[in-house]
Formats: sequence, structure tokens, C-alpha cells
Amino acid sequence: MIEFARTWLPYIYLYSVGGIAFLIGIYIITKSKSLNIDSNHHKRWLYVLIFGFLYYAGIHGSLILLAMRG
Amino acid sequence: MEIEIGTGLDRAVILIYFALVMGFGAYFGKYSKTTSDYFFGGRRFSWWLITISIVATGIGSHSFVKYSTKAYQYGFSSTMTYMNDWFFMPLFMFGWLPIIYYSRVRSIPEYFEKRFNKTARLLATAMTLLYMIGYIAIQLLTLATALYKIYNIPLMLTVIIIAVATTIYMHFGGQTSVIFTDLFQGLILLFAGLLLFFLGLEYLGDGVFSTGIKNFWSFLTPDQKLPLAHFNHPPNFNFVGIFWQDGIAGSIGFLFLNQGLIMRFMAAKSVNEGRKAAAFNVLFVLPISAIVVSNAGWIGRAIANGMPGILPEGLQPNDVFVAVTNIVSSPGVFGFIIAALCAALMSTADTLVNASSAIVVNDIYRPLIKENQSEKKQLEIARVASIIVKLIAILLVPFFNSFESIYEAHGWFHSTFTPPLVVAVFLGIFWKRFTTPAVIATFTVGAFLMILGQFNHELISPFSHGIELRPGKGYSYIGALYNIVVCASVGVFVSLMTKPPKRKNLEGLTVFDVKKLKEIFKGSPINEKKGEKVKVNFKIDENNLDSIRFSEKDMEIMKAKQGDLVYLCDNRAWLGGLKSIHSVYGRPHQQEGIVFISSKDQESGLFEIDRKLYAEKEM
Repeated sequence: MIEFARTWLPYIYLYSVGGIAFLIGIYIITKSKSLNIDSNHHKRWLYVLIFGFLYYAGIHGSLILLAMRG
Repeated sequence: MEIEIGTGLDRAVILIYFALVMGFGAYFGKYSKTTSDYFFGGRRFSWWLITISIVATGIGSHSFVKYSTKAYQYGFSSTMTYMNDWFFMPLFMFGWLPIIYYSRVRSIPEYFEKRFNKTARLLATAMTLLYMIGYIAIQLLTLATALYKIYNIPLMLTVIIIAVATTIYMHFGGQTSVIFTDLFQGLILLFAGLLLFFLGLEYLGDGVFSTGIKNFWSFLTPDQKLPLAHFNHPPNFNFVGIFWQDGIAGSIGFLFLNQGLIMRFMAAKSVNEGRKAAAFNVLFVLPISAIVVSNAGWIGRAIANGMPGILPEGLQPNDVFVAVTNIVSSPGVFGFIIAALCAALMSTADTLVNASSAIVVNDIYRPLIKENQSEKKQLEIARVASIIVKLIAILLVPFFNSFESIYEAHGWFHSTFTPPLVVAVFLGIFWKRFTTPAVIATFTVGAFLMILGQFNHELISPFSHGIELRPGKGYSYIGALYNIVVCASVGVFVSLMTKPPKRKNLEGLTVFDVKKLKEIFKGSPINEKKGEKVKVNFKIDENNLDSIRFSEKDMEIMKAKQGDLVYLCDNRAWLGGLKSIHSVYGRPHQQEGIVFISSKDQESGLFEIDRKLYAEKEM
């Protein structure tokens, strides 16, 4: 059994602290209208940004699960 | 361990590669006519060209050695630092990128003068230059360490030879040369790294690739398959320390402060192309790069676990890259993979040297020595500066050679030089209340507190997250968290104690003005109507030197008005924008499908007679 500090603790820390930085970023750019969600073009960029976050969280999560199964 | 390194064929392959790259870079020198071309490539390239050239900049020669070492010791967690950059992408893509692009700053220190004052610019110049020259020295050292064994030339002489070789194409070409040689080298790097992985898997499967994959997976222990390191153990490779040193300080440093990378984005034809390049790079290219730089270590670990006796006993982790490459590849292929290591060095070093010379010209020569100097003279200064930068880097090589490993030298570098700059630029962009005395205090008092932390480890202890203190060495990566906290605290405290900056002085310099920046850039209200591209032939007309003229119908298709900004480009997409110009729409005419440009525009855009061009409205 691999210890928690080797598997999910770094994952939770990474996506909590990193997630806060990410959300603050999204808040600042939408509040400043630098990313204008009324524009379709910018809305697509917002989806890309959210996709990127979930994409990396998915890759790391899947690899941890695979390693634990192995 | 003594490793038999390379054959005559390998040495020949490496030499041919060097010659090829120098020739390639020198050829593209003809596209650099002004300092704008030399430093920024004329702001004309497509996103895919920027993306591939960024690959080569991001993968330094140290990457292969450094990540293979950690991959051999700890498995897949060696990829951590390549896969933690997304958190700051919103602020980069929609905050920093439009600010630097539209405010037309030529360097990061120049931003500091606009946002604060000359003293802030000088401090930022000194810190940025120190950071980049040190980085170049590390690059030179890494490659020389590999090459001097192959050619049996003394280490320092190898360093000098490499420095001269990279200077040749840099000297003539500038940023355009850098972008095109990096495009070539980026592809070589990716191909060579993936080839090594393929050969390694075949080796593990005794010639059968599918068996190799199965063996690779089964030979690694579950611990070695985990993508993130242990939370706080061991002191020299733990998740939380590396997260703060690389994921936070390193990511912000790389995205927001790496003048080389910033210049690459400024060479994009538009902010949107820059965003596409950044997103594609982090989403797809970085994970592939992580495999490229780490796989020799993974293969080495799988061989050591599952096929004992093949790798020599007592193999030093630092030797893994060369040892595995030697075992799994044949003569010639080994030379090719080492040539890829050269590609990594040359492409990272050329970007940093070009960036450093940009800083010397834009932040030292122009503001302090001579403001109005001819383009020719400035180019001369830039070329001389690039040679001086390399000379200083060569002198620094012995200092970095005294570190225990390249990984440590690099880690020390990041956690020491980036935090004050990271805090200063971040608060500058995203906090309007951040004042000039505060930025100066961040650089000076912050640096003093950082030095204090280096000598008094108990100051860092509250931030250690349970990481063990190394006797005589102190904390490693987690020092970055302490450095960020003290610099940010100084910045915030002094800001709150001093008079807020005047609103009009901040116009266009914080994220809250990005929308206005477009107008400032254009000099008139923005035309947001969405038009289409048109294909045109060009004719020379010397009557309008400041604008180019399209037919009324073509302007209607593009939804463009006189005075709007236009991008005119050779229609061959594979050129990636190399032959293109930016201009302004002039008075329309009636000849459909024709654009009138001046001969100066033709020369600047390198347009060929009878070649179709396409045009699109920028804003």
C-alpha cells in the first residue's frame, strides 16, 4: 500500500493551491474585462482555460490510479 | 564510471549537425534589417512557428541530463515540473501578453520604468541580466560536460568552442535566425527524444516493441509510476518544495519574466496568435517534452530493475542519459541523439543571448548612453553585446561547476533570482495600489531578507511543510516560498504605507486597462466588425508610404475602414508569416484584387512578384 503522502496528498495540494491561483486569475481577467465573456471568441478561450485545468487534473489523477492498481 | 563514448561516425554526425545549424541560422540573417527584426522578428509569425520554436527554448541541454537523472532515481515524478504551468495561463494569456504586446515595450525592465520609474528599471535590468547570463553559463557547462568526453578536449575549451559556434549564426541573424533555427532544432529534439524512447522500449522487449511496453510497465515499481513525488521527503526531491520553486516561482518566472520567451511571443503576428501558441505549447507540447527529456532515465530504471547486470554497478545517476543512449542505440544514432543535446543547448542559449543583448541595447545603451542612435549602430551594439554576454557566461562556468549537480545549480538559481522579480511584476500588473517605493523595497529589502534566510535557516522553518533540514546545506527548494512571502510582504506593506500612484500614470500598464490598450496601440477607436480574409496581388505605388490601398470591395469583405490596421502576408501558409507586413488601410481604389504598396513595404515583407498575398483586418 503506497502511503497517502506519496499519492493523493500532493495531488490535493497541487490542485487546491494551484486551483486558487487559477481561480484568482480567472476572476481578475473577467472582472477587468480583459476576457470579455460577452464575446463568443473570448468565451471559447474561457472554455479552453477550464479544459486545460481539468485536462491536467485528469492526467495526474489517472496516472495515480494506474500506479496504485499496478 | 568509465563509459565508452561514441565512435568516429558519432563524432562526424555531431560536427555535421553544428555546421548545418550555423548555415541555417546565417541564411535567415538576411531577414533581419532593423532592430525590430533583430529582436522581435518583425511581429509577424504564425502561432505554430512560435510554438515549435518555444519547444527548443524550453528544453535546455541541462533538461536531458537533469530530468534523466531524476527519472532514474524517482520514476515518472520527474515530469512534475513540465506539467504544472497551467495555473497561471489565465493571467498570462489575458493579462501580461496583451500588456507587453500592445504597450510596445521592448523589454521587461522597460515595463518597470513605465509602471514605476528609472530606478526600478535599473534594478530590474540588473536582476534580469544576472538571471539570464547565469542560465547561459549553466547551459554551456552541461553540454561541455557531455562533449568534452566525446572529443577529449578540455572542458573550458569545449565551452569556448560551443560559445563561438552559437555566436556565428546569432551574430548575423538575430531573432529571425533564432526562430528558424529553433524551429529546426525543436523538431530534431522531439524526434531524437522520442526515438530514444522507442529504441529503449524495443531493447526492453528484446527487439519486439509491444513486449517492450509490457516489460517497461511491469519492471517499474508502483512508486516509480506515480506522477508526483512524495509530499515532503527526501529533502532533495519532494513535491511541495519543487511545487513552490518550480510550479509557482519557476512558472511565473518562465511565463512572465523570461525575456527570451516574451520576445518569442512578441514576434507573433497578433496577441491571439500568441495565445494560441501559449495554450498549444502548455497543453500538448510540454507533456511530450516531459517524455522526451525523462525517458532515458525511465528506461535505465526499468533495465536496472528487470534486467540486472546490464547497466554497470555503481552507475552514477548523472551518467544515465549517456549510458542508456549508448546501450540502446547504434553508432551514428548515438551521435544523432547527442546532436539533439547540442540542439537543446544552442536553441536555449541563442534565445537567452538574443534576449540579453536586447536588454543591453534597450535598457542600458539607449536610456543611459545614447537615446537617438541609428538602426545600424544599434544592431552593431546588439551584436557586440551578445559576444560580451557569452564571455561573462564563460567566466561563470567554473562557479556553477562547483555545485553538487546541475539540478542543484538550477534550483538555487530559480529560487534565488526569480522571487523579487516575480513579486514585483505580479503586483505591478495585477494591483493598482502597488507603488514605486514599494517595488524598490521589494528588490532591495526583499533581497536582504532573502540573504538573511540563506544564513538563518530557522527563518525558513515555518514554511518548510515538514521537509527535513539538511545539515550544512539548509533547505533546498522550499526556500522559494520563504523568498516569495518576504518579498510580497515588503511590497504590500510599503505600498500601504505610501501614497497610491496617480490613476493617469497607470493607464495601459495594468490588467484593468487591457481593453484600452488596443485603442492606445492603434491610436484611434477599434473597429470590432468581423470581416473575412482576401487574396490579392500587389502593385507598387510610391505615393502612399504610410499606408497600403485596397479596392472598396475588398475593404467591404474585410469590414475595414481607412485608418484601421491591416496584416498583409504571403499566401503560402507553410512560411508561417515570414514574408509579411503590418500596415494601415489607405484611401480605397476601384481595382478589385489589387493592393498598392510601396517598394519599402515590398522589401520589408520580402514579397515576390506574381506571388499571391492575403490580407486581413487586425483591428
